[in-house]
Amino acid sequence: MTLVTSTSAEVDVGAPASNERGSLSAYVLLAPAVIWMTLFLVVPMAMIIYVSFWTQTTFKIEPRLTLDSWQTFFSSDAYLSSLWTTLRIWLIVLVTTFVVGYPTAIYVGLFVRNKTLQTSLLVLCVIPFWTSFLIRVLAWRPMLGKEGAINIILMKAGIITQPIEALLFTDLSVVIGMTQIYVVFMVGPIAFMLGRIDPNILEAARDLGADFWRILRKIIFPLSLPGVVVGAIFVSVMVLGEFATSAALSGRKVNLLGNIIVTQVGSLKWALASVVGVILTAIMALVIAGLLRVVDLKKEL
Amino acid sequence: MESRVLKPILAIYVALFLLFLYGPFIVLGILSFQQGPEGGPQFPIVEWSTFWYQHILGLAPPSRVSPLPIGISLFRSMTLAFMTMVTSTVLGVMAAQAFRKNFRGKTTAFYLIVLGMIVPGVLVGLGSALVATTTGIERHWWSTAFATHVVYTLPFAFLVMLAIFNRFDSTVEEASWSLGVSPSRTFRKVTFPLIFPGVLSAMLFAFTLSYDEFSRTLFSSGREQTLPLAIYSTFSVEIHPNIFAFGVLTTLFSFALLTVYAVLMMLSVRRARRVAIQEAI
Repeated sequence: MTLVTSTSAEVDVGAPASNERGSLSAYVLLAPAVIWMTLFLVVPMAMIIYVSFWTQTTFKIEPRLTLDSWQTFFSSDAYLSSLWTTLRIWLIVLVTTFVVGYPTAIYVGLFVRNKTLQTSLLVLCVIPFWTSFLIRVLAWRPMLGKEGAINIILMKAGIITQPIEALLFTDLSVVIGMTQIYVVFMVGPIAFMLGRIDPNILEAARDLGADFWRILRKIIFPLSLPGVVVGAIFVSVMVLGEFATSAALSGRKVNLLGNIIVTQVGSLKWALASVVGVILTAIMALVIAGLLRVVDLKKEL
Repeated sequence: MESRVLKPILAIYVALFLLFLYGPFIVLGILSFQQGPEGGPQFPIVEWSTFWYQHILGLAPPSRVSPLPIGISLFRSMTLAFMTMVTSTVLGVMAAQAFRKNFRGKTTAFYLIVLGMIVPGVLVGLGSALVATTTGIERHWWSTAFATHVVYTLPFAFLVMLAIFNRFDSTVEEASWSLGVSPSRTFRKVTFPLIFPGVLSAMLFAFTLSYDEFSRTLFSSGREQTLPLAIYSTFSVEIHPNIFAFGVLTTLFSFALLTVYAVLMMLSVRRARRVAIQEAI
């Protein structure tokens, strides 16, 4: 960025008139993208907020402003419990992706100093993304089911005598599925931050007698924090907007806010779907704002 | 040293981690060779067969398992991905080109574009469906769904191009201008060949993201299903190994796409190197 600005600044000094022409042409170049995002992103998002106050009749919505749909949401146990389920699953998946991903990130970012090997390991993590997201989710069914691969392996190994039925169509299967799908978004940013740590710092700490746990707590973790925050933002945004994983792996037992939106739209209850949409947006904004408070990303990256 | 103990432990952990990532695929691959049409989507394998692959391709004799509606939905998804790829790459290159200059509202414009990849698909889909129903616009995969797909892929194309332009040596452009070459010709003959690897990456991103996009499409595509929607519709009914066979085939297709990308990338790098050598001589 600095390079670009400095060269354009030099040009500008020579010809002050070109500055105006320059920014004019910049606006022309930028206009299609900005118009597209405004029309198809900002307007629809504003529409969600607006429609959440509309009046819902059986099959239609009318632009008569009312708080009915909001009251419906907050007076229904089913909807409120889906709000708590969403928050619970989000927090659990945030923790599991971190716990499962961090050691991998340490290995890739700190212990593998060979760039080629490092890149190939990361590519290996990304390859699953080349299969359709929905098929990746479905693939967990034959893994976790009563006659699934995990139960068969555990029984053959003599660890269990009865198949574990709690593996599929529960909270657990949703968490396992989501962790597998989203953990890479945690590993990537953390490994990136860890790869930038100067090995001499770790060397110095070791020479001064610090053991690995102390180095991990005092040096590695603080330096990786921006990566953790970026990863947490990725995972949060995706998990909070989820509905397909829970639809496929919970047997309709886990209802996230996303699932509520889908069913409400399915029965043409647009106003209530919009209320859920606004709540989801608000949660997401709070989560992102909160995470950004942990570190100043602009300074760190 | 501890690292002598720690490193092998972590290496084993990473191997287990990769097993966790790939486990479902392995199972999926094995089960796709389940006997058909009676064999279910679980172990044990009754008898190895390629029945479900024939089933996908429409070669299997008719049975109680209805074929996946793949043909037409695959065509729709590919067309949609292609449209999205072209549009978002063109808009992304233009926007990134604009960002090489300083202008008022730069930060706002940046956040506006990047917002497209942050807002969850289900919300974008809901919003555009609301706009469409209240204004009476009919929803189709090639209209409303296309618009929401570009909202998603444009930020990726934009960020890739922004990174490319960051490392871009603009003196070559200035040299071209000072030799009296028109700006549009300079862009075609000088700038574009130099940024081509970035453009290729942006295209790859846009195509694959759109091709697999599901939550945005669900509300915004109307009645005609794209491929991910066709797969989603099997969620509620009993699943058969044909969906696994299909998963294997789509993965192979993705790898083919990745190979094409790698080959194009290699060719363009090689050509750039040849040009550089010629110039040196």
